[in-house]
Amino acid sequence: MIVSVWRYSHLLFAIASSIFLLIASITGVILAVEPISNKIEPYSISGADELSLAETLENINTKYEEVLAVTRDRNGFVSATVIIDGKNEEFYIDPFTGDKLGSPIQKKPLFQFATNLHRSLFLKSTGRFLIGFASFLLILISISGIVLIAKRQGGYKQFFAPVVRENFSQYNHVVYARFSLIPLLVLAITGVYLSLLRFDIIPDSQVSLQVDFDSIQEEPFKEYTEFDLFKNTPLSELRELEYPFSEFVEDYYIIRLRDRELYLNQITGDVLAEEKYPTVQVISSWATVLHTGEGSILWSIVLGLGSLAIPFLTVTGFIVYFKRPKTKIKNEHSKNESDYVILVGTEGGTTLQFAQELHKQLLLSGKKSHLALMNEYSHFNKMEHLVVITATYGQGEAPASAEKFIQLVKKNQQKQAFDFSVVGFGSTAYPNFCQFAYETHEALKALNNSIAIEEVFTVNDQSFESFNNWCSVWSEKMGLPIHLEKPKLVTSSKPASTFKVIHKAELPEDDTFLLSLKNLNGSKPVSGDLLSVVPAKGERERLYSIGKVNTDTLLISIRRHEKGLCSNYLHQLEHNEKLTATIVNNRNFHFPKHSKKTVFIATGTGIGPFLGMMQENIKRKEIHLYWGARTKDAFNLYKDYIETALQEGKLTDFKTAYSRQQSEKIYVQHLIQRDKELFLEVLKSKGCIMICGSIAMQKEVLQELQELSNKYLGKDLSHYQNRKQIKMDCY
Amino acid sequence: MKNIIVKTVGALCLASAIFVLSSFIKEPEVSYKCMIQMTNYTGEKAYVVVSLINPEGKYEKTLYVQGDDKEWFPDLKEWWKFSDGTKENVDAISGATIGNGERNIISLGFNASHLDAGYKVRFESAVENQEYYTVDAEIELNSATIKEKVDGKGYIRYIRMVPNR
Repeated sequence: MIVSVWRYSHLLFAIASSIFLLIASITGVILAVEPISNKIEPYSISGADELSLAETLENINTKYEEVLAVTRDRNGFVSATVIIDGKNEEFYIDPFTGDKLGSPIQKKPLFQFATNLHRSLFLKSTGRFLIGFASFLLILISISGIVLIAKRQGGYKQFFAPVVRENFSQYNHVVYARFSLIPLLVLAITGVYLSLLRFDIIPDSQVSLQVDFDSIQEEPFKEYTEFDLFKNTPLSELRELEYPFSEFVEDYYIIRLRDRELYLNQITGDVLAEEKYPTVQVISSWATVLHTGEGSILWSIVLGLGSLAIPFLTVTGFIVYFKRPKTKIKNEHSKNESDYVILVGTEGGTTLQFAQELHKQLLLSGKKSHLALMNEYSHFNKMEHLVVITATYGQGEAPASAEKFIQLVKKNQQKQAFDFSVVGFGSTAYPNFCQFAYETHEALKALNNSIAIEEVFTVNDQSFESFNNWCSVWSEKMGLPIHLEKPKLVTSSKPASTFKVIHKAELPEDDTFLLSLKNLNGSKPVSGDLLSVVPAKGERERLYSIGKVNTDTLLISIRRHEKGLCSNYLHQLEHNEKLTATIVNNRNFHFPKHSKKTVFIATGTGIGPFLGMMQENIKRKEIHLYWGARTKDAFNLYKDYIETALQEGKLTDFKTAYSRQQSEKIYVQHLIQRDKELFLEVLKSKGCIMICGSIAMQKEVLQELQELSNKYLGKDLSHYQNRKQIKMDCY
Repeated sequence: MKNIIVKTVGALCLASAIFVLSSFIKEPEVSYKCMIQMTNYTGEKAYVVVSLINPEGKYEKTLYVQGDDKEWFPDLKEWWKFSDGTKENVDAISGATIGNGERNIISLGFNASHLDAGYKVRFESAVENQEYYTVDAEIELNSATIKEKVDGKGYIRYIRMVPNR
C-alpha cells in the first residue's frame, strides 16, 4: 500500500484521539510514580518468601488471638487481617515474627484523582468508553507508525537504522517513536483489554469451587502446621489465605495461590476442592500488571517514559504535518502548451522550493514552463526539455509525490523527442545517496525518444550552491540566461558572527592559503562544521570546512581561483582585519568520539578540518591520515601542523599520494588497495573513515572501499555507512 | 447537729463513691464476626454499608462501610440521608470493596443493651450504574437466632454471624 494512505490514517487516528490520549498519558505519567512509591515502602522482609505457609501461619497465630486472613501483594508485602478488641484491623506484618510493620498504604488523593481521570475522565461509563476507544486508536496509530517507519527506512530489517534527518520534529518523532513503541503498544493493548473486561465484552470468568458437604470428614484431626499444603507451599506462592469463618467443619480455609484456588478442610487438612485459574483470569492479571507496573520499579519507569512520549509525539507529529508545505502548484501554462516541463518528487516540500525557483526564472526569461509533481507525468504534447528534480525517501525509496512515476513513464510514451536532466537531492550522510534520482534517470533513458543531457546531478544537504552549479551548466546548454535566487526558507537563520584574522599562511606556487581566525562572538563550532561566507552583498554563500586547532583559533584552508570571488575576497584580508560569516552545524562530519581507529582521507585543501580534528585526539587514539595533492610542495603549508601532531602522538601516521610528482600518477584511492589490511581492520573494529575533498575523489574512494567490503567482509558498504562508520564532506 | 453532719458526709461519700465507680463500669460490648458473601453478579465491585437500626426502624449508627472511594457513597441513598458524611467519621470503620463471588469477613461490635431489644443490623448495597438495594439483607440482633444464615436479596448471597472468640 502507498505511504500516503498509512500516513493519512496515522494522522486521522491521532487527531481523533489526541485530547483523550494527552489526558491519559499525563495522568499515566503521574500514576507511574504510584507503584514505585509503594514498592519502596519498607514492608518487604528479605528471606520471607522462602518461609512455608505453615511457618508463616504459626508465627501469626501465636501473635494474634483471631486472624481472618493473610495476603501477599504484588510488591511482596505480607499483610494480615485480625480482630483486636472486637475491631477489624489490617496491617503489614513481618512473617517471621507476626509483628505489625505498618498500616495499609492509603491511596494518595493525587493518585486517586489521576486514576479517576485516567480511567473515566470523571464521566463514569461514558468516560470509560472514550478512554478505551482512544486506547484502541493508539494501537492503530502504533501499527500505522510501524509501517511508516519501515517504509521510511526501506524495510523492516532497517527498522533501527539511523534516521535521515530533515528537521528536529521529523527526526525526533521517528527516533522517539521507535524507543517508545513497545511500552506504548503494551499500554494500548492492555488498556483496550481492561476496557473490554470492564464492559463485560470479555467475560470475567471466576473460579467457582463446589464443596461436597456430605462427604466432609471430621477426622483424623491434624494440627494445621502438619497440613501437607501448608508445609509444602512457600509464602512466595501465596496471594490470599482466608481462615475458616467458624470452627464448624463446614467452614474451611480458602487459599488463593499464584496459579490456583483451593479449599482446605480445617480439621483434616484435606483438599476439598481445587481449580486452576481460568486463562482469562490469568490474562487479566497480566494485563493489570503490564498496564500499571504494579510491583516492578523498572517496568513502572519504562511505562512512565512511554507515557511521557505521547505528548511529545503528538506535538512533534502535528508540527511535522503543519510544516509540510502543501504541494499546491499554480501554472500559467497548461501541460500541453509548455516547452519546458519541471517535475518534482518531494517528501517534505523543500525540494519543491528549488524547483519553483527554477520554474519562476524560466517564466521570467519568457519561456513556457510547466511545473508538476512526478506522479502527474502524462503526455506533454509540446515538451522539449524535461527537468526532474527529486528527493529520495528514507533509504532509497521514491518520495510520496513520485511513487507512480516509473510506471507512468513506461505507460505514457511521448510522441515527440525530448531531452532531460535529473537532479537528485539527498544527503551523503546516508547510504543510497540520491538512489531514486538514479532510478528515474534509468527509466527516462530507456525511452527511445529521450536524450540525456548529462548524468544525474546530485545535491547534498539542500545545498543551494550545488543546485546553482547545475543550473548554470544546464541553462548554458539551453542557451538561457538564468540566475537563480536563493529560496528564503533555506537560508540558515543563525546569526552571523564576527571573526578576526590572526594569521595567514600562503603558498603562492600552489595557490593555496590558510587563514587562522579568532571568533569574537560566542558561537562555538567544532571541527568539521562549516563557515558560510558571503563575499559581497547579494552574492551567494560559499562554505568552508572548519578545523578548530585550539579553543580560540579556527583554521580554514582555501584554494584561490583566479576568478573566484570569494577565495579572492578572503585572500586579500590582512592580519587583524575582521570578517563576518556564519557557522553552519555539520553534525554528520564531526570527529567520532567512540571510534578506536580512524582514517582521514583528504585531497588538497580538504585537509583543513582534519588539522583541527587531530587536536581533538587527546586520548591519542589511532589516526591515519591519507592525503593527496599534485606536488610535494603543496605540503609545506601544512607541514608544521602535521609534524607537531605526529610528535605529540595525536596522529599515528601520515601517508601521501602526489599525482604529478612522478611520471606515474598516484592518487589517494590507490593507497587504499595497498593498505587494505588497515581499512578492513577499521571497518571491522567499528572504526571510522572520514573523507573530505573533491566529489571525484570521494567517488573513487567509495568504489575502492565498496570492493574491499564486498570481497573481504561480505557486506555492502551501506552496512557501514548506516552505522556512521563512513563520513563524508565533499564538494 | 453532729448527726446531720455525719449523714451529709456519709451521703456525699456514698454519692462520690458511686460516681467514681460508675465511671469504671463500661457498658458491656459484644462483638460478632460477620461474613458477607456476594453473589456472582456482573459489574463493578459492590459498595455495602452495615448499619444498626433501632426498634423504630430508624438508623442508629453506622457499623461498617465496605467501600473506599467516597465518590460513590451517595449512591447508598437511604443511608446517605442519615449519615451524609458529616455525622460520623467512617474512615475508621471502612474497608475495601469486594467483587462478585467474593466474601468479606468483618467484626461488628454492639452495645450489649441493644441485644435482644428489637434492634436490627441492615446491609445496604449498591453497584456503579446498577440497582440499589436499601435492604439487601437484614438480621435481627437476637442472640437466639443471630447465628442463622440470612440470605440477601441483591448483590449479597448471604450473611453469617458468629460471636467473636
